[in-house]
Amino acid sequence: MRIYGGDPVSKGIAAGNVYKYVPYEADVEQNQISPDQAEEEVRNYRKAVAGAEAELASMREAFSREGSDQGAIIGAHMEILNDPALEEMVTGFIRAELHNVKWAIDRSFTKFIKMLSRVKDDMIRERIADMKDVRNRLLRNCDGVEERNLGALTKPVIVAAKDLFPSDTASLNRNMVKAIVTETGGATSHTAIIARSYEIPALLGVANVMELLEDGEWICVDAIDGILAADMDSEKIEEYREKAEKYRIKTLETKKYLKVMPVTLDGVPIDVELNIGSASEEELEAAAYTDGVGLFRSEFLYMGRDRLPSEEEQTEIYTRVLKAFGNRPVTLRTLDIGGDKNLDYMELPKEENPFLGNRALRLCFTYPDILKTQLRAALRAAVAGNLWVMFPMVGSMEDIRKAKALVKEAQSELTEEQFSYGEIKIGIMIEIPSIALIADMAVKEVDFASIGTNDLCQYTLAVDRMNPSVSKYYQKYHPAMFRLIGHIVKTFNDAGKPICVCGELGGDELGAAVLMGLGMRKLSMGQASVAQTKKMITKMTMQRAELIAETVCNLSTEEEIVNYLTEALADIL
Amino acid sequence: MVKRTTVIKNKTGLHARPASDFVQAASKFKSNISICRVGEEDDEVNAKSIIFLLSLGLCQGDEAVVSASGEDEQEAVDYLVELIESGFGE
Repeated sequence: MRIYGGDPVSKGIAAGNVYKYVPYEADVEQNQISPDQAEEEVRNYRKAVAGAEAELASMREAFSREGSDQGAIIGAHMEILNDPALEEMVTGFIRAELHNVKWAIDRSFTKFIKMLSRVKDDMIRERIADMKDVRNRLLRNCDGVEERNLGALTKPVIVAAKDLFPSDTASLNRNMVKAIVTETGGATSHTAIIARSYEIPALLGVANVMELLEDGEWICVDAIDGILAADMDSEKIEEYREKAEKYRIKTLETKKYLKVMPVTLDGVPIDVELNIGSASEEELEAAAYTDGVGLFRSEFLYMGRDRLPSEEEQTEIYTRVLKAFGNRPVTLRTLDIGGDKNLDYMELPKEENPFLGNRALRLCFTYPDILKTQLRAALRAAVAGNLWVMFPMVGSMEDIRKAKALVKEAQSELTEEQFSYGEIKIGIMIEIPSIALIADMAVKEVDFASIGTNDLCQYTLAVDRMNPSVSKYYQKYHPAMFRLIGHIVKTFNDAGKPICVCGELGGDELGAAVLMGLGMRKLSMGQASVAQTKKMITKMTMQRAELIAETVCNLSTEEEIVNYLTEALADIL
Repeated sequence: MVKRTTVIKNKTGLHARPASDFVQAASKFKSNISICRVGEEDDEVNAKSIIFLLSLGLCQGDEAVVSASGEDEQEAVDYLVELIESGFGE
């Protein structure tokens, strides 16, 4: 048996035959044509351009149908295709040097790419990738070959690829793709997002997958434990089949809970809120069955582009989210970059310890205009709904006061400029132990707080969560975590101010019950965890949750806690 | 022919979207329009070509010459220089 590991970005198990997806590569030969063939070749070129244009147009249509923002990529390709210099050079090569059309196209692009390679700029490199994409599209059209895309599959397969581009996934036929395996990409990649929304199991980041797998070979993709298995004996195959079946039944069963009211057996309502990372239709659909947005990550507005988003642009997007949720709260986390997240257009100095460095709110204090623009947009959008604004990486009372002063500044600017704006609640993300320990003071300065358990864990346990060599020290069920969270919840509950968990623990199968027992009445999570968490809530009583929480806080190791919870919750899981 | 010298104001330079904006604006005029870096007049390129414009790699602070010849040369140069000086809304 051969086993390979990968990052399970979209859960599920599937088995089937491998379909190696390799984009079309045209043969380009240099042929001399006779002068009377030149006009024919120019016509062939125009035909290829028209074909390429039609393909791009239909792709653009598909993107806008899905409400995807990937249309910009198509725009860039169109722009290259219609560049007058391209037309001039290709037809020049055909007419003056009597090149055949494919050679003329290839030579023109080679020249252009060489020209661009001399420019020292990251963004140009992306444009070179675009140029290569357009070149291949044109050459394929010259060959009269239809686009080999994932929409044309006729039997169900497991797609293996180096990488999938938006133009590939846009046309993907979801009924024919049992699983996706790629060499590149992570949990936030385009492929991952599409795979999750189509509920296709996906394993990304499988090293050398194209060399390791044979076309047509039968494999099993276990995107629960992150394993790809090939050459299995019948016993192993049976084992996977059972696991897949169990998973299928469990998901079906859990799905029934997606739209129930999250109330415990003894009548205590728990707010189940949503973590969102864009304002896509897919995410906003969940407004129908959740109690609000507990974490609106605003980074997507800033990433994957070439400049800061304008105030207008932000106002529009925040308004869209607020409207989708009506009077339910939408918690907007202000820009959280630095650490592991960077912006292409902002050169940030390299730091020895980026997670302990100038990130999130600290970075915003270095560039207050960026934060102020965001706050102005948030305030203006607030007229459309119930907006809560939350600051990340708060470590001290000064941080809170400084952030609040910026809100005031933004408000008086807006008043002066005669913009109307709405009321907002101001809160903090609790992810640094220092602010957790002085929660009694912090609570007086804010309207609410939300616990970011991923960073809280990394800072409490002193573990860099991006460093694989210390990953075993990153223990999200460490007893210290539950004690610390318990302290924060009690402080906020005593003060009568909302407290929420929006980290991974909030939607965790084992963690959610403990949090409820600690007094948490608001949990926020990714859409994928909603059904499972609601199931937990509706089968739980407060008395039972409290007993569980108390026991957990008095167990001494993570291992003991996991074993205990797995057993104590066995009837619900 | 009309010529004007200007300085690139916006942070990202004439790359990516500002470059697209510029080419789109240039393409609306009938005149032949060129752009080059000051001191590199021999390397002037067609301002209606995104590929050539990007190849110039004009960055913030760079000096550039925009020139046009044709029936709307004056409007073209004025409009494009203003566009550069507006910083492309950055």
